[in-house]
Parts: sequence; C-alpha cells; structure tokens
Amino acid sequence: MDIFTMAIWILTAGFCIYSFVKDKDKTKKSLKMAFGMGKGMLGSILSIVFLIGLILTILPPEQISEFVEKQNLYLATFVSAAFGTITLIPAFIAFPLVGTLVDAGVGIVPSVAFLTTLTMVGIVTFPLEEKEFGTKFAIVRNTLSFAFAIIIALVMGVII
Amino acid sequence: MTNILKKLKGNLFIVIVIFGYIAMFIIKPQMGVEAIKNSGYYIKEMLLIMPVIFVLTALLDTWVPKQTIMKYLGKESKTKGIVVSFVLGGISAGPIYAAFPFCVMLHKKGASVRNIVIILSSWAVIKLPMLLNEVKFLGVRFMAIRWVLTVIAIIIFSWITSKMVKDEDLPKEVETKQDIVINSDACMGCSLCTKTYPELFQMQNKKACVKEYDFEIDCNKLQKAIDGCPVTAITDYRVKEITK
Repeated sequence: MDIFTMAIWILTAGFCIYSFVKDKDKTKKSLKMAFGMGKGMLGSILSIVFLIGLILTILPPEQISEFVEKQNLYLATFVSAAFGTITLIPAFIAFPLVGTLVDAGVGIVPSVAFLTTLTMVGIVTFPLEEKEFGTKFAIVRNTLSFAFAIIIALVMGVII
Repeated sequence: MTNILKKLKGNLFIVIVIFGYIAMFIIKPQMGVEAIKNSGYYIKEMLLIMPVIFVLTALLDTWVPKQTIMKYLGKESKTKGIVVSFVLGGISAGPIYAAFPFCVMLHKKGASVRNIVIILSSWAVIKLPMLLNEVKFLGVRFMAIRWVLTVIAIIIFSWITSKMVKDEDLPKEVETKQDIVINSDACMGCSLCTKTYPELFQMQNKKACVKEYDFEIDCNKLQKAIDGCPVTAITDYRVKEITK
C-alpha cells in the first residue's frame, strides 16, 4: 500500500470516529449509504477488473511495445495512444514500460501519448462513467482527453 | 421473457466479460488462467481503495454542507475552484473509477462540471505518488515538462467540457408521482424495491422509479420496500397525509 492510500485510510478512520462521537445515527446512515454505493458499483467494477485482465492477456504490453518500435512516428503515436485508451495499467508497470520504449528509440511522442491516454481515457471504464455521469459527459470528457493526450505528446516532442 | 432481456441489457457489460472468459477458456484454457491471474492485481488495488472511498464519500456527503462545496467548487469559485480541484485530484489514490462516486457526490452538492472534470483528470494523471515513479524511470525533466503541459491541457479541456456539457446532462431526479417519491440522487439502482413490489416500482436508466398506478397500494409491501432500500431513498408522503 503506498503512503497516499494509507493516508486516506487513516484520514477516513479519523473522520469516522469523529462522526460517530458527534452523531451516532447520522454515522450509521452514512455507513449504510457507503455500503449501498459499493453494492451498486460492485458489478461494474468487477467487470472492469476482469476485462483488464483479459485484455492484458490477449494484448500484452510487451508485444505492443515491440510492434510500436518498428513503426513510423505517427502510426506509433496513434497505436500507443489507442492502446492506452483500452486498458488501465498500474503506474509501476507503465513507467518502466515507457522507459524501455524511450530507451529503445521509440521516441518521446508515442510514449507520452501512451502514458496520458493510459490513465485519463478509459474505454473499459466507459460504461461505468456513463452510468454515473450520463452519456454526454462521458463522451465529451473521453474524446477531449484523447485529443489533448495527442497534443501534449506532440508538444513534448518539440520541447524535448 | 422481456424481463430477462431487460436484465441482460442492464448488465450487458458484465455479460460480455463473462462470455469473453468462456470463449477464452474454450479456445485457450492456458490464457484464461493467465487472464484471471492478471486480474488479481487489479482486484487487490480495488479492495485497497474502494471501501475507503465509499465511506469517505458518504461521510463527506453527510457532514459537509452544500454551501461549502458550492463556495469552493461551484460555478462561482473561479480560480480558487480550479486550484482546489487540482489539489483534491493530485493527492488522491487509486484508479480513475475510484473518483467516480466521489465526484458524483460533489456534483450533487453543487460542484461545477468544470471542476469535476479537473478532479477526474488530475486524479488520473498527475497524482503525486505517480510523479515520483515517473522521475525514477524517465527523469525529472521529462516529468516536469509533462506535468506542466498536462495541467495546461486539463485547464483548457475542462473549460471546453463545461461549455458543452450542462448540469442537466448529468443524471438526476427522475420525475415521479407526487405521493411516493424516490430520491434518484440517492438511488444506487440495486433494484431491491422492484423485486419487493414489482407492480409499483420499475428500473429506468438503472435507477428505480415509481410506475403509473391506479390500484390500491398494498401498504405492507410498500413499507417492506421502503425499509428494504439500502439508501433509504423511498419516501411515502401518502402515509403522512393519512395520519394527519
């Protein structure tokens, strides 16, 4: 568990105790609400988790990076950005992977595009986002994030 | 039959994933096992963060008054709102979907669409623990430039989003009959009430709502549905009138 996750646990535990001391009934109601929220999202989240596992097995990141290394810059950028949108890879795997990409001479642009879409755009999480925020919000946010991921990557290519 | 179809449609995503796994196990059992192993990490990640996010969200929902949220994250919060949103997203933990229930709660309490987008995006890409990792593998310069560009990009596209998506586009209360009301902000779509009293409640857009009815309400069944609701979203104004 990283320190930030731990901090959130501690903070929440403290908050919970404070809340309990202040108003028992309200706290009970809140916990019930939290439980309800969890129950409501559990199915979606489990599907997301298992889908990521499935995708990573069919399309392992190593294989993608091998493919990307051989392409020209624009195709490589697009492919990495697109691959980034499908999956969510934990940072501790993503950064070494991107590091290898850069070292292998793939270039900054595809690597950054991959990094940004990886975390910000989620096709896998889209159904959940749509359910929580509505279709329009989910489409606009993901599309804009994708477009800006490419822009960020291109600008970085110029600067570095 | 139509009921089964409806249910399938509501859980289409889950069904697709299950079929994906079945197909995988038939074609290449080895890869199926591999896929489940790969999912293991994400399950751990989810269990580490989601319970605490739900509790924190519910507690904040209970204790932080609407005015406070509006002041710091509402439409009029301007620069202050942007900074607060970046900080909230930046110090967070967990994957982007962990931010969903948190942001839904904030929006319900008056946070603007723009600030929600900022929180979601910074939650995703500019988290502090992530940055340290990035420095380790890609260097300080790479991280710093990417960080600055990303922040600028988020400021721009959150503004565009707020121009394109209005508050009304986000899900909110479904219109209901006056006497029995379901607070759809609270409703989590567990469909318990539709199982308890299928004649009266139905699911619409994954939220429960009250059907048009012209029959005598079975008070026992209704009370069971009200008591059964995990988020106590159902209110029966009818009863109050009778007791008056």
